[in-house]
Amino acid sequence: MSFSGLHGRELALKMLQALPRVSHANLKPNPNFKPKNKRGRGQHGGDKHGAGNKGSGQRQNHMRLGYETGNWPFYLRFGFEPYYKGHHLKRQYPPLTLHKLQMLIDTNRIDTSKPIDLTALVNTGVVDCIPERKHYGLNLTDAGANVFKGKVNIEVQWASEPAIAAIERNGGTITTTYYDLSSVQCAVDPVRWFSRAEPIPRRKLPLADCLEYYSNPENRGYLADPEKISQARLALAQKYGYELPRIEDDPDYEMLIQRKDPRQLFYGLEPGWVVNLKDKLIFKPKEDYLLEYYRG
Amino acid sequence: MLRLISKKLLATYSPISPCAQCGLVQKLRSLSLDDNLLKADIKGDYKFLDPDNHYQKFRQVWLENLDTTQEKKLGIISLHPEIFATKPRVDIIHQNITWQRLFRYINYACTKVTSEVRGGGRKPWPQKGMGKARHGSIRSVLWRKGGRAHGPRGPKPYFYMLPHHIRVWGLVSAFSTKLAQDDLHIVKSLDIPTDDPEYVTQLVKERNWGPSVLFIDVSDIMPLNLITATDSIKHINCMPGYGLNVHSILKHNTLVLTEDAASWVQGKLLYHLNQIKPPENIK
Repeated sequence: MSFSGLHGRELALKMLQALPRVSHANLKPNPNFKPKNKRGRGQHGGDKHGAGNKGSGQRQNHMRLGYETGNWPFYLRFGFEPYYKGHHLKRQYPPLTLHKLQMLIDTNRIDTSKPIDLTALVNTGVVDCIPERKHYGLNLTDAGANVFKGKVNIEVQWASEPAIAAIERNGGTITTTYYDLSSVQCAVDPVRWFSRAEPIPRRKLPLADCLEYYSNPENRGYLADPEKISQARLALAQKYGYELPRIEDDPDYEMLIQRKDPRQLFYGLEPGWVVNLKDKLIFKPKEDYLLEYYRG
Repeated sequence: MLRLISKKLLATYSPISPCAQCGLVQKLRSLSLDDNLLKADIKGDYKFLDPDNHYQKFRQVWLENLDTTQEKKLGIISLHPEIFATKPRVDIIHQNITWQRLFRYINYACTKVTSEVRGGGRKPWPQKGMGKARHGSIRSVLWRKGGRAHGPRGPKPYFYMLPHHIRVWGLVSAFSTKLAQDDLHIVKSLDIPTDDPEYVTQLVKERNWGPSVLFIDVSDIMPLNLITATDSIKHINCMPGYGLNVHSILKHNTLVLTEDAASWVQGKLLYHLNQIKPPENIK
């Protein structure tokens, strides 16, 4: 049997043809697959267990972190300069590049015939948005703007100006919307949320420090005046030097202008509804105070 | 070294070559898959089966019969190379059979420590003045009939879960190994004309399928003749498709799949190899 000219998979399969039958009797793991046993056996197997001989080490008297056995500790030698104070509370927006968005479209992970929101993006399994890490949504960045070809109606939580231009140049539309943390939690894993029989939350209004961002038509904020947004679209097209495609003439016009209510989390579902996936039922609130709360 | 091994073995193993003189009309066909298995999760454009793949060709195998002990070739079918001719990861096969052995194993061995051995509460002799070593209990680990230091403290379960993809790759590697070694056969159906065990023994012997054979069908309701005939032969077994596992595949010399079972398992494995994330319930 000749193995010449064969590599990798084909070579391995060809070798198997000539080798004895693979069975329980002749299989073994790769070398060093199993970690070594922690404790040795025999005369000195249980002697010191790696703790050494005599003193602080043997008694495993681990000193507290930063303690330097009597020295003035390093962490106390200098004044406290809190550059990162409160960083763990700040809102994070992990980046989503236009390049990655194009990849999601090319590999059919995203359906461009429907509006794209956070749920659709996270559902691809490629984009991560983790509310436990204070991720308040995604930031659409302009990397790959020159290769972006998709025509989409996308909703992100933050976007840069070139990214907005790249989306609109192709005849798409973009909105930036504010999601609070519990809305993100529901949006990234709706199945888990529904299985707990919790009502769909109403999206909270933006905080004071970002209210201006989401009211600004230049950011395509969801609270901005639609009239001013269309003026800003035209202004951006002139700034970046492209001809703005008329979405009114587009066959997908209905899809492209679809927007959520500022309080709404999922297309087609209203806040306050309880979704039962098992029996395929939706429970809607009837009491006036509930209706008032979820619409207000 | 490899050349030496192969030359030596070639003398003992019959060469694996397609039967050119059998004179049958060869019917070329590929296994049909459910439409939904050919589709990706979101849109229907991506296909697992790509007949134009330049790097991996479909594996063509004979479709055989079971209704006579003599082998008849009923046609040729194509098997997907990602399932039946992928890299044979024998280490992953080993991981799978080790897992199958261990996850249901419980070590019941248990020894007593000093405090559990009966007696030994009294100090056997005073600390000083006896000229003997100091001891506080006759059941100390130093004593005969004393407790045991570092002994097994059972019952200890060895349960663990292999990652989902290692289990999928294990099956795929096992199929590829079996096909490469000519130990995997595809038959049209499992219908045999008689329920005589002698018929099955004769069939296995004549086709050189080795003593142990595993027959696989899609459903767990199998032809009565085959069930009755193999019932008394312990090394010839039948199994539904959903019971397929690496341990059983390797335990038997030959794996015999029906055409439908091959199609079913191929579709299942292709789905699991190509999906974006594993379903929640099989993580």
